[in-house]
Amino acid sequence: MDGFLLVLWAVRLLFLGLIYLFLARVIRVLLRDLRAAAREPADRPGRLIVLESPGGEPTAGQSFGLDVITSLGRDVNNAIVIDDPFASADHAVLTYRGRDWFVEDLASKNGSYVNGRRVDGVAPMGFGDELQIGQVRMRLERALR
Amino acid sequence: MTSGAMHGVRTPALHRTFGPIRPRPRWLELRLLGLVALALAAGSVSLGATVTRRFGLYDAEGLLIYLGALFAAHAGQVLAGRRTDQILLPTVAMLGGISLLLMQRLPQDLVTQTFFGTTLDLAQVQLVWLLCALTVATTLGIVVRSDRWLRRYKYTWAAVGVGLLLLTFVFGTEVNGQRLTLQLGPLSGQPTELLKVILVVFLAGYLSENRALLVEQDTRIGPIRLPPLPYLAPMVAMWAIALGIVVIQRDLGAALLFFGVFLALLYVATGRVSLVIIGFVLFLLGSAVMAVLFDHIRTRIDIWIDPFADPLGSGFQVVQALHAFARGGLLGVGLGAGLPEIAGRPPIPEVHTDFPLAALGEELGILGVVAILGLYLVVVERGLRIGAAAADDFRALLAVGLALVIGVQAFIIAAGNLKVLPLTGVTLPFISYGGSSLLANAVVVGLLLALSDKGVEPPPPPRVGSRWRRVGRPRAD
Repeated sequence: MDGFLLVLWAVRLLFLGLIYLFLARVIRVLLRDLRAAAREPADRPGRLIVLESPGGEPTAGQSFGLDVITSLGRDVNNAIVIDDPFASADHAVLTYRGRDWFVEDLASKNGSYVNGRRVDGVAPMGFGDELQIGQVRMRLERALR
Repeated sequence: MTSGAMHGVRTPALHRTFGPIRPRPRWLELRLLGLVALALAAGSVSLGATVTRRFGLYDAEGLLIYLGALFAAHAGQVLAGRRTDQILLPTVAMLGGISLLLMQRLPQDLVTQTFFGTTLDLAQVQLVWLLCALTVATTLGIVVRSDRWLRRYKYTWAAVGVGLLLLTFVFGTEVNGQRLTLQLGPLSGQPTELLKVILVVFLAGYLSENRALLVEQDTRIGPIRLPPLPYLAPMVAMWAIALGIVVIQRDLGAALLFFGVFLALLYVATGRVSLVIIGFVLFLLGSAVMAVLFDHIRTRIDIWIDPFADPLGSGFQVVQALHAFARGGLLGVGLGAGLPEIAGRPPIPEVHTDFPLAALGEELGILGVVAILGLYLVVVERGLRIGAAAADDFRALLAVGLALVIGVQAFIIAAGNLKVLPLTGVTLPFISYGGSSLLANAVVVGLLLALSDKGVEPPPPPRVGSRWRRVGRPRAD
């Protein structure tokens, strides 16, 4: 076997080896990224961002991390207090079941609205949907990673 | 002052779009690109030594232009200072580089095109398209900061897609018995490549808006529970379009790709396996009926079941590809050493568009093929991660759909080359020769880059139709 052929095969194997080295590097980064994502507490299934609040409580731009069951209303015992003259004391409940969000209107006087549609009993909500309670508009979003 | 007053309202938006721009280093991307350059240089030397018996880069000019463009794309992204994904570009650059090496190695007269008096051959044309694709991907990754233009006009996009399809039906020219190519003066392109991107945009918009409704179960047929019937209409329409593409365009691959991506997105949006199974069974039933009715589909299936029944006729391509894989073995015969030419032609017809994986399988062996499939997996993984981290459903579905388009397409043609599925004429993303394919996949990569930015503007509020206005102001308690 002459030297030229030996070097040629070395170069050929080097090419394959470098592609695998690239893959190994990339996969190491991907694994680190996945582990970091797994370590972060993902117990919050979503968050609610206040878009508009004429009353000032909650303040516009505020973000609430949501639990599996979150109650909203004017009463101070609610998880999210909505101090708005058009909100009822116990206005609505946000629940996370399986992989979906639902909003339940607790027979409030002025109703709850999802994307401008009045909620009749229970309505499903997706990420990006808008919830209006009284004059307060909020948007449901995925929890920050 | 007049111009200032005129733009007074828009200035904040412009400010948000273009400034303030702070360069942000991307070391990971730079390191990975360096590795890509090293690997491609080694490949080029291996190819050069095999062909010319001297150690040196083969067609150094082409390779250096390509590498220069890669680092220019990197520099552009650094200057733009967005926090976008740093793995996508090097991965795709590796695939594109392998494509360039392959095209340099194949007989150059497979394709010649004349632009403005200069005649370019296979590798040069591919290089030009690769540069265009890089430009498109980087530009989209830098410029796109809002997805409003995709989200808002999903039905418009769908109409554009259907229009493209109809144009191809009517004005398309037949190449190899498939009516896929649309001629526009000196330019020709395959609209189905762009159609797949439009399809994902439409599906992401439709499914994110109606996801909650699709999860509800209120139609029952025996033991099967289905979503409300009106929301199944698009699904049936998709099925009809897929089968229509098979019948009129004779494009089995595109139909398989569209329907596969559609079912995958449906599953991602609803999490219901039953819908996917129903769709899959429908597709199988439709295909079975088609196979009985149409000759060209039956031929494809016959070739798939036994290509050796007619090894010199209809089964020629597939048999040659299988031989190529067999010659390659574990390590391959080396770049440039495979595919002994028969009368100046490579033995596999259409090797540069439909069978690049067979050529690479011969020259790089199964190790090379596995590495290339691994690169596609990396692209898909990035898409899924970007989708998982997205702020809302539309972006999540868009990212997942775009990544799956590349993954499913690579799977379909790789499986076709390896006789796992019937052979269909889709391209191997980023590797096959062809401008339409490269540009469409570049759009996919560019959008994925833009979606991966963590500091991007928040999703726009959902559309409120006439119902919103009907609500009016609430009464005091």
